[in-house]
Amino acid sequence: MGGKCPHRKVKKRRLSHKTARRGKFLLKADDAVYDELVKLADQGKEAEAKELPVDEDLPGMGQFYCLHCDRYFASESVKDDHYRSKRHKKRVKLMSGPAPHTQLDAELAAGMGKPDNGLKLMSM
Amino acid sequence: MRLEKCWFCSSTIYPGHGIQFVRNDAKIFRFCRSKCHKNFKMKRNPRKVKWTKAYRRLHGKDMTQDATFEFERKRNRPERYDRNVVEQTLKAIPLITKIRHDHLKKHIADRHKPGKLKEMQKDSKELEQDQHTHILPKKFNSNEPSAEKTKVKVKVVQQQTQDNYMEE
Repeated sequence: MGGKCPHRKVKKRRLSHKTARRGKFLLKADDAVYDELVKLADQGKEAEAKELPVDEDLPGMGQFYCLHCDRYFASESVKDDHYRSKRHKKRVKLMSGPAPHTQLDAELAAGMGKPDNGLKLMSM
Repeated sequence: MRLEKCWFCSSTIYPGHGIQFVRNDAKIFRFCRSKCHKNFKMKRNPRKVKWTKAYRRLHGKDMTQDATFEFERKRNRPERYDRNVVEQTLKAIPLITKIRHDHLKKHIADRHKPGKLKEMQKDSKELEQDQHTHILPKKFNSNEPSAEKTKVKVKVVQQQTQDNYMEE
């Protein structure tokens, strides 16, 4: 990964790492993926049948998507290959485990009680 | 003044300290120091890092349930100011912290208990097994007290004579 930088004379620093880092920020974090999976599990079978939106910029028009790894694939066969990979299996195992650490967990561990939202407002 | 808790290690963050990261889905991550921030960037799980509160809580090293945990809370509905309530709260804070410390001490002592019991059992077993090596033969046992007495007498006599020489 990484394109060539002009005007860089030192051999070590000739390659740019910007493009490689861009992907890092586009990837969804663990807890976001976990939330998505939980949402999907709540919805049941209806959500699975839903078609993915067509996006020209994504590989395979954004039709072959792995939810656990947040990745798009070029075709069905590539996606199947991915499902058989070690990386994907590890990821599935991680996602089927306990919920990721959150700020609330941190506060509870610090000896705080659950947040107090007060009485319900009479908006009905 | 709102005191926040660190996302990674759960320590208190006072105003002007630490760093805050807002992710592109508007979730806020607060860190008490660069150590915690770096660990977050390395994508470490606080539950697996031994020095964090989350780990200690999960593995039974710290107290998990206590009545004193109910006081400090994030209050999203602000309370109306009342002078008396404030006064009482300020009075209660040191008291509650003292109670919490006492409970913590007890928790630690309780956690030490099984190990200490095991050690005691081990020691008593060793004493039972190796008794024959520790006890002296009968011959020495019977003569010991008398021998000691004579020794002392001799010593005293010798000292006196030495002292006498010195004086002369």
